[in-house]
Amino acid sequence: MNALVALCHFCELHGPRTLFCTEAVHPPSPSPPQHGSAIPADRDSDREGEGLTMRANGSANQRTGMCEGCRSLPASHPGFVSVDSETGIRYLSHQHPRQPQLFSVVRQACVRSLSCEVCPGREGPIFFGDEQHGFVFSHTFFIKDSLARGFQRWYSIVMVAMDRIYLINSWPFLLRHLRLTIQSLQSTALKVFDTEQGVCPQRAVRMNSAFSPAVFPHQRSGNAARSLTSLTQHPNLWASLHSSFSWLLKACGSRLTEKLLEGAPTEDTLVLIERQTEQEEEMIGWEGAEGGGPKPQQSQSEGLQGRDFAYEDGKGKELHGPRFRSLRHLRQVLGPTEFRQLAWHVLMGNQVIFRGAEPGLIQSAFDILKTLLPVGCVRAVPYSGQYEEAYRCNFLGLSPDVPIPAHVSSSEFTVLVDVLAVGKASLYPSVCDDAVLSHYQFIISSANTQPTDRGPSLLNKLEVALSNENLSVDVVSHCLLCLKEEWMNKVKVLFKFSKVDGRGKEDTQRALVVLGATGSGEEDNVRLLKFWMTGLSKTYKSHLMTAVRGGERTLSQ
Amino acid sequence: MLGEMMFGSVAMSYKGSTLKIHHIRSPPQLMISKVFSARLGGSTSGSTNTLQDSFESISQTCPSHSSSIAHSTPVDMPSRGHSEDGDSGIARSASLSSLLATPLPSPGSSFSSSCASSYQRRWLRSQATSLQHGPMPRWSTEEMFTLSDESCSSNPVVIRRKKIAISIIISLPEREEESHNFQEFFFSHFPLFESHMNKLKTAIERAMIVCRRIAESSQRVQVYLCRVMEALGEFRMTVWNLYMAPRISEPVWLTMVSQSAERGPLCQRFLKEMSLLMDHGAKNQFLPALLTAVLTYHLAWVPTVMPSNQPPIKAFCEKHTSQTVDLLAKSHPYNPLWAQLGDLYGALGSPVRVCRTVVVGRRRELVQRVLYVLSYFIRCSDLQENTEPEGQTDNPANPSPPQPSNPAPCPERTNEKPSSPILESAHCSEGSSENIPCPVLESSSPSLCSERTNEKTFCPDPDSTDPTPCPKRTSDRTENPETGQEGLGEDTDFAGAGLEQILANQSPLLHRVQFHIGSPRETENDGQLKGPTGAGCGQSLDRKLSRRLLTDIRRNESSDSALGDSDEEELSPRQQCTATGLQEYELPLPSSETVSRPSVNHFGRSLLGGYCPQYMPDFVLQGISSDQRLRQNLMNDLEHTVLHPALDEPVAEAVCIVADTDRLSVQLATSQRRVCEPGRLGRDVLVSSLVNSILTSVLQLYKLNVNADFCVMHLEDRLQEVYFKSQTLAEYLRGQTRVHVKELGRGLGIESGDIPLLAAVASTHSPYVAQILL
Repeated sequence: MNALVALCHFCELHGPRTLFCTEAVHPPSPSPPQHGSAIPADRDSDREGEGLTMRANGSANQRTGMCEGCRSLPASHPGFVSVDSETGIRYLSHQHPRQPQLFSVVRQACVRSLSCEVCPGREGPIFFGDEQHGFVFSHTFFIKDSLARGFQRWYSIVMVAMDRIYLINSWPFLLRHLRLTIQSLQSTALKVFDTEQGVCPQRAVRMNSAFSPAVFPHQRSGNAARSLTSLTQHPNLWASLHSSFSWLLKACGSRLTEKLLEGAPTEDTLVLIERQTEQEEEMIGWEGAEGGGPKPQQSQSEGLQGRDFAYEDGKGKELHGPRFRSLRHLRQVLGPTEFRQLAWHVLMGNQVIFRGAEPGLIQSAFDILKTLLPVGCVRAVPYSGQYEEAYRCNFLGLSPDVPIPAHVSSSEFTVLVDVLAVGKASLYPSVCDDAVLSHYQFIISSANTQPTDRGPSLLNKLEVALSNENLSVDVVSHCLLCLKEEWMNKVKVLFKFSKVDGRGKEDTQRALVVLGATGSGEEDNVRLLKFWMTGLSKTYKSHLMTAVRGGERTLSQ
Repeated sequence: MLGEMMFGSVAMSYKGSTLKIHHIRSPPQLMISKVFSARLGGSTSGSTNTLQDSFESISQTCPSHSSSIAHSTPVDMPSRGHSEDGDSGIARSASLSSLLATPLPSPGSSFSSSCASSYQRRWLRSQATSLQHGPMPRWSTEEMFTLSDESCSSNPVVIRRKKIAISIIISLPEREEESHNFQEFFFSHFPLFESHMNKLKTAIERAMIVCRRIAESSQRVQVYLCRVMEALGEFRMTVWNLYMAPRISEPVWLTMVSQSAERGPLCQRFLKEMSLLMDHGAKNQFLPALLTAVLTYHLAWVPTVMPSNQPPIKAFCEKHTSQTVDLLAKSHPYNPLWAQLGDLYGALGSPVRVCRTVVVGRRRELVQRVLYVLSYFIRCSDLQENTEPEGQTDNPANPSPPQPSNPAPCPERTNEKPSSPILESAHCSEGSSENIPCPVLESSSPSLCSERTNEKTFCPDPDSTDPTPCPKRTSDRTENPETGQEGLGEDTDFAGAGLEQILANQSPLLHRVQFHIGSPRETENDGQLKGPTGAGCGQSLDRKLSRRLLTDIRRNESSDSALGDSDEEELSPRQQCTATGLQEYELPLPSSETVSRPSVNHFGRSLLGGYCPQYMPDFVLQGISSDQRLRQNLMNDLEHTVLHPALDEPVAEAVCIVADTDRLSVQLATSQRRVCEPGRLGRDVLVSSLVNSILTSVLQLYKLNVNADFCVMHLEDRLQEVYFKSQTLAEYLRGQTRVHVKELGRGLGIESGDIPLLAAVASTHSPYVAQILL
């Protein structure tokens, strides 16, 4: 807990004193908010003159010094430390806190608990404090001492924190545990007291000696300075107090724990995690079976290339040359109609083939186009020397001379973009801008006969955002994310209806109405939904499959 | 004795307010005191400049981290002189919006932890209350007690060494278990108790100011007493209600969080109720309007839909517990109760706004249905309590080798009079005649109408519980003198003697938990309150007050000799550091077995009220049959919330959503604007089409017989869409000075009706949004 615990004593000669103090030193900020580093410490200047003036007027000339009763660890003792390995919190115990700012805080708490605040019955719990000096839970108690005035000495244990609400909330807990500590100290001291009284009954000694109130404390000043160690005859008193105070700080801080929920991961996150796991498993599999030989490794990396490309942005950076920078850029270069046509094919799940001499340029086009789709729907072969079938990839880059098979070029599910360089001088320029791209020609061809200007709704909305130059590229990409999530949620419902519940056409149609997927562009919307369904994560699908069984069970119950 | 407990035996020079809690063993009582410095003039309660001060001290302390700390964007801060603005509301909120701007990572930045806003709030709290940097007053350091209203005076005079204390004594129930339960409730709900105490203080302040204007002294005392009694009655009733009012037995969200096993039936019931409700108010769009308001202000749902980066652990529907927050709690402990309170009041945005929802209606069943449905959308974290296993005696708190037998508790050394046995028995009989020993939580029962139906037995209708604040009642004193004595212990000359008696007879039902009050006392004679003569109680009050005052002066003027030679003799910290440059001896950290069990006394369980007999200002959610009391109190309550937030952090605005199931209307009352139209509590809430479409599609899916579990998942997905949309809005507003509503609509599909909701959501992750939209 953000607090410290101290044992204080009211010395007959020296007044209230801090004997032993345990503080919790927290590790530097945990990683997530890197910006929120610690607050600088030097704050003493604002407190000057405002503090509760505890100075005794004109008493400065009184003797200074400490007796045994005011001391816990000898000056040469380095103190104690315990480390909570799980959290890195260090619990430090010394006679006084190590941090200068806390020195006066503890001093205040000590003086107030033993000299200012009044607890009915003198022994017991009390809470006091203010924003300036911190807040204190204090428990005062007596310890038997056969040689002390009234045969007892007065102590308190204080817990100091800045969070008053937290401290007050913890009252029942602190009271319960501090009582144990105190009772244990008291009973140990009581035994010592009884033994001492048995040996030499002090009452009789005192009755027989001449008594003068004025000199009373000084008369016995040699004895007044008994330490708590001597009163309890506990050889490891301070070590065990350190342990119990450290425990108290830790236990009080973890007394209540929160169960705080966060949202489900997006489908994109899930798919990425699944792919990563798959990849790791494959790696392990290769290494285990073949001993990590070069050949399988190679073929594996080839196989993974396509998948890697879908989410590893780093790769593209190695390739130089002109590039597409954003959807809006792509749209400007291709022209709105051509862009619409191309985006439509992408969204419908058709195979998009780019053929040209510039792998970097082609890859940048894919990088941008794939943002239109859920991660699970992207299978790309960025640049290949031969045609790859549509089931293997929906994004395919080809070198200029690769022929397209006839069944592909005649298919309405394919769109081909030929990238032709117009001017020679502009190859591999150091800067890429639109002027450079204008040296290229993009020829789009497809056997598709469907109109591409009606739907899907997602594309219509995206085009509005793209065409509004007031909206920055970042805003547009957020807008696209929203649209994708919106449609992914519709995909989930459709999956539930058609694949999990196996509902008929009529019901599915009703669901589409509910989802707002009907109306203009309905056909395209439905195609989009069906294609995107293939991109749902395995985790999600298997959950729905099992949950429906569980759900039906509950219904039949 | 009471005086010493309140003021301490030695005078303090500290100017700010001090808080104290005493536990009196016999008779068992808790005493809560607040000690203020008194000042003349300046009717504003000092809160504005307090905020200003604390802000300044904070910004001084972190010059080099100006972008890293919550309170450190000094944009457009009015200077100290301006902040003493009489018309507090708007000026304050404007300054707060910059004051509280929390530099969270932008939605587009690489900060990937979900739950960012929850995390951030907790992290900042742990830093703000950290001891590691020494005490850092956060606010309220100069909360004063104002004795007069000469507000025009430029700088209010602080009268040196003049202190006024207000104490409340709560008699604890006799029975151990009841007493334990009440104490657990009291300490966990302390911020609410304290807030009511502040309200009481304000009332006493006003009473003093008013009675100063009265020339005739006897009348003056009467007026003073009447007002104080009224405020006290209010306090007592509020606290009583807080403890006793019915609660929603199974709030949907918390039940889902805590017991995922019964999720199916729970979803089923939730959707059924929501569907019925949707149909009921279809014409007026009652539910969409209500949910628009709830989602806009009770913002704690936002972190629960922010996508996580971890794969699901078990079932898909089971959301993640946030691991980053978990880790934070361990390494930088913050107060989970505080976090929960903020969640419930929706204090996640920037500027900080707190919100409550009241559902009014004569049809009990309908109101309860609304409450039940809303308990899904008004969210907070669930709390677990980690305790030592039952019967474990070997406790790490015990510093000695385990004792063979538990030592007897320390001997009672109390010097106080034994409590009156007559009164003790009176307590007992009162207690046992009621069969509701501790109704903090209602036992769950199968139907929706699981709330206690017998409120009447412990809270009669408002008219009869209203205290009749008349000093004549002091004549009752002769009938039952023991009570008066008991309330005061040995301090019989204390002015509160008569007052306590009046209270004791107000409502017999309050006997189990009694509230006593000591009247405010001044430690210096200001010559104002002391009238030479007066009738009845007033007279004795004056006489006692003056005697009291004299003794206090004497005490306060005495030297602080009790402290002895305090400062000089100990080693200075610097000396000490050099003295112990050695490495500490390392000891293992003792570990103890703990058992986790659901916490009982937390705000999620206690502040979601049921159909209550009366309006209560604390509840996050509650139902009432009549809005009479609500109308009387709401504006004052909202203002009080802003001045003395129970949340222990500055609040810019307090709002209350009032849903009327009879008229099917949803209104929003705010602390910032007084409503001009008579008969109205606030302005009407406009329906967000986004919320409407979410509700419609979820309920239509439900009607298509999709299983309830899936419908609820879909609902969460749709709420997540709202979150994504808010990110788009935030991105759009970045660097924007003006909002083009048309552009938002056409370009981004954000309709004007959705903007308030989306802006509020966005302010939880992108605080600059509020500054632009303000």
